[in-house]
Amino acid sequence: MVTTAQTLLETPPGFRSETIARFLWQLDEQRRVLIKDTRGLSAKELEWQPAPGMNSIGMLLAHIAYAENHLVQVGLEGKPTSDTRAAIGISEEEEGLPLAEGAPPSPALAGRELAWFDALLERARAYTRGVATTLVEGDLAREVRRKRPDGSERVFNVGWVLYHMLEHEAGHHGQINLLRHLQQLGRGTGAR
Amino acid sequence: MATPEREVLVMPPGFGSREACSFIAQLDDQNARLIADTRHLDPAALEWQPAPGMNTIGMLLAHIAIVEVFWTQVGPLGLKTYETESVLGIGIDDDGMPIAAGTSPPATLRGKDLAFYDDLLARARAYSKEAVARLTDLDLEREIKRTRRDGRPHETTMRWILYHMVEHEAGHYGQINLLAHQYRLAAVRS
Repeated sequence: MVTTAQTLLETPPGFRSETIARFLWQLDEQRRVLIKDTRGLSAKELEWQPAPGMNSIGMLLAHIAYAENHLVQVGLEGKPTSDTRAAIGISEEEEGLPLAEGAPPSPALAGRELAWFDALLERARAYTRGVATTLVEGDLAREVRRKRPDGSERVFNVGWVLYHMLEHEAGHHGQINLLRHLQQLGRGTGAR
Repeated sequence: MATPEREVLVMPPGFGSREACSFIAQLDDQNARLIADTRHLDPAALEWQPAPGMNTIGMLLAHIAIVEVFWTQVGPLGLKTYETESVLGIGIDDDGMPIAAGTSPPATLRGKDLAFYDDLLARARAYSKEAVARLTDLDLEREIKRTRRDGRPHETTMRWILYHMVEHEAGHYGQINLLAHQYRLAAVRS
């Protein structure tokens, strides 16, 4: 019997804004495929670098979780700074991006198993969902102004943050798939 | 005083659905970033493979354009047969993807420069924008049935297709950045 592939974008219940509910569906769909694509990765594969100074899959998974939580805290909740360590258990320094030229993977992630990254991602998404369900349609246009550590100012709105969370995860998901392909071919750019 | 960096979705005018318009705004934001990040790439970088059987940056750029035209034909235009030659000047398989194990990039892209890929992306976006602008909110609920190349039936909705166009470009854009990083390291070592 031929099975029909179904890809439908559903509006999950429990949200005050349909638009925001649909963004959450998109993020969840992205996550579903990311989880599927990473099954079976060992701790060694998670910390493999194609060359010194390049991100490992583990670093990218941790970065996805860190960035999502940081963006929710400063972008959706409007906090002046984020505390991702308190919220989901990892800081920017620990996820290790951006990695310095020639550097090894973040030592904070050494030996971590896939289940550890799964749990990190799940905590970030639970936090996101908790905040997103409180937002209303009018929040999408709300602008947030932030001073960066270098003194420059960044202005964004809530609608852009939700889109950015999606494209950010999708971009790094694409990189994770590429790193897996490189691993399977046993190819790096330098030392391995 | 320095001008703040401004990141908001810029909604283009002339759309029948605000939600559909938002997807185009997201795609435009992706293209703006992709264009900015690829300015330094010459033909050698565009056709560099990290290993035989792996995609090049040029293949990924062509693939982004081809896939955008393809999904525009499946969804917003509701066509039953699909081709990209009349829109892009290259065929639906000319990106060489999926590439076979151990093989080289397709001859169709050999020696192509960045201007060629910029033009592909611009043509694809003009095509999708025109079609998506005609959609209404009701159109986004429309279910679409098609048969995949492997013969399997596929059921989807217009809304999923627009979401997929965004996440598809974003995923390959991430890979392009990674390949550009690898190419820089490989060039330094050679």
